[in-house]
Amino acid sequence: MTSILESGYPFWNPIVWIIVFIIVGIVIYFFRRRGQKGYKKDTDQTRIFVCGEEVPKAEDRHVRVGNIYWGFFETLKEYYNQVLKPHTGIINDYVLWFVAGTAISALILIIAGLV
Amino acid sequence: MAALITQSPILIIAIPLLAAFLTPLVGMASKKARNALVIGSLVFVAFLVFALARDVVINGIHVYTLGAASPAQAIPTGFIVPVRIILEVDGMSAFFGIIWAVVSLAAAIYSLSHIAGESGQNRFYTLLLLMVTGGFGMMFTGDLFNLFVFLEIASISGGALIAYRTRYADTQEGGFKYIVVSAIAGLMVLFATGILYAQYNSLNIAYLAQTIQYTRLDQIALALLLIAFAMKTGMVPLHLWFPDAYSVAPASITGMLVITSHACMYAAFRVCFTLYGRVIDAPVVGWILIVFGLLTMFVGVTMAVYQKDVMRFMSYHAISQLGYMWLGVGVGLAVLGNPALVGVGGWGREAMSGGIFHILNHAMYKPLLFFTGGALFHYTGTRDLTKMGGLAHKMKWTTVLYIIGTLSISGIPPLNGFSSKILIYESVYQFNPIFTIVGIIVSILTLASFTKAFHSAFMGAELPEYRGGREVPKSMIIAMGILAAGIVFITLFPSLIVDSTIHPAADALIDPNPYISAVIGVAP
Repeated sequence: MTSILESGYPFWNPIVWIIVFIIVGIVIYFFRRRGQKGYKKDTDQTRIFVCGEEVPKAEDRHVRVGNIYWGFFETLKEYYNQVLKPHTGIINDYVLWFVAGTAISALILIIAGLV
Repeated sequence: MAALITQSPILIIAIPLLAAFLTPLVGMASKKARNALVIGSLVFVAFLVFALARDVVINGIHVYTLGAASPAQAIPTGFIVPVRIILEVDGMSAFFGIIWAVVSLAAAIYSLSHIAGESGQNRFYTLLLLMVTGGFGMMFTGDLFNLFVFLEIASISGGALIAYRTRYADTQEGGFKYIVVSAIAGLMVLFATGILYAQYNSLNIAYLAQTIQYTRLDQIALALLLIAFAMKTGMVPLHLWFPDAYSVAPASITGMLVITSHACMYAAFRVCFTLYGRVIDAPVVGWILIVFGLLTMFVGVTMAVYQKDVMRFMSYHAISQLGYMWLGVGVGLAVLGNPALVGVGGWGREAMSGGIFHILNHAMYKPLLFFTGGALFHYTGTRDLTKMGGLAHKMKWTTVLYIIGTLSISGIPPLNGFSSKILIYESVYQFNPIFTIVGIIVSILTLASFTKAFHSAFMGAELPEYRGGREVPKSMIIAMGILAAGIVFITLFPSLIVDSTIHPAADALIDPNPYISAVIGVAP
């Protein structure tokens, strides 16, 4: 079978997953069909309700990229402080990293050759 | 047809080169004719690449000697060493050739609309075709000096294409950085080539692989080659230039630049496994690749989560994904001396296959994601994710294609990204379980960051500034559709791909002898 990937361990067959997804999709569709039928577009039923408060404009209520994962970045602040340091944007620094990387790799290879 | 396949290695390089020089001439007469020339030449080249790859799988390595009475005559009569320029296509070269052919064609189709409003389009397509020439040359060449020459062709045209939109200051800065980094990497490659030529009096990779002694000078040459190519692929900590350059290029070119990174990865593999294959200190070099591969995966993805510029975000993810490839192939290299592990069914071979399979998958979903980033820029006029929102209302095709790319890069079953990642995870686990855990964490962070970008750009109510806009033009959708179709095909038939393409490529790396004997063994 051209779909079954065998790596010497458990096999992987995407067709099984696709069939499962299709079955789950059909089940979801079935339950959705049994849902509320009295739904009317462009009435209060479909408008946003914020406890009676005025609903902010679309541009004000959209969660922007800067606000997502705030806690993640706050927790890893120290890591980001360190990892952002080499990203200076200066090409001289980039070349320095290259020279250092080449020198270290050559030393490792030479020392390993001597051992 | 047989004659065409015999001549195909040189035709695949010569056709885009010829088309590059014809493009400005035809472009002066008719824009439509120029576009037809560009697309037509790339379609024909793609056909030749697929035919050649099929023949390599069936009949073995192709050797093409320029200037010889017969293309297969690698060593001239009366000589004991190969002295002519030789192109050599094995399973690994053919594999990379297929990737380059598909992505460059998709990028050219995408460009038809993406740069439609720009001036200097003749120059753009000339440079694009020169870049295609350089990429194929790097993949097919059989000697070190021409590897340097083709690397330079690809780098110079790439740098000029990054700086193509001259009205933006950051494109000029990005292009400058790319050229400086590429020039230094190219010089190091030339220096290493000189070191080897001075010792062995030959530039031919197969001949050098047979005679190399692994002297101190050879070790220095290996470090120069490895680090130069590693920097061009964006391996951490040599990646710093990568987002600065890739994020400012037209999206179609960024998609192609990803594959030039793959071409440099191919060159690094060719150096480690073929040129030095018989003498290399495999565990040491393997561990160097593993350590830097893990660093590349982790730093790449954590930097990606942090980004607010959609193209820089995509660039850091490209870096992160390249780490998976280094990890898989590094593990294979570390155990190269153990025939049981790198033989058929061994986990060393599977680790390498996983790494190589991931290159193919990455070549489909990463340009697709860059193209969706370009589509966002085309629609909104900005790369800043903080200014985007609610775009799914108008960009339905782009949204669906972005989701396909996102699920694939995150390794979500049943998409193709999962197929290669599961091969890497299972085999690398045998080497060291911690590496698999790092890989899974990186995958989770990848999904998390793409979800963040998806929410920021596509979800939410329609923003007033983007009302009245229209989905991107058809040629951009078609180009993205070609890559998405590639993802779906690989998703459905992973075993077909692995058996027909990935394993031959991995075997070509594991055993350098067929590559060497294809040149040295065909002496009259």
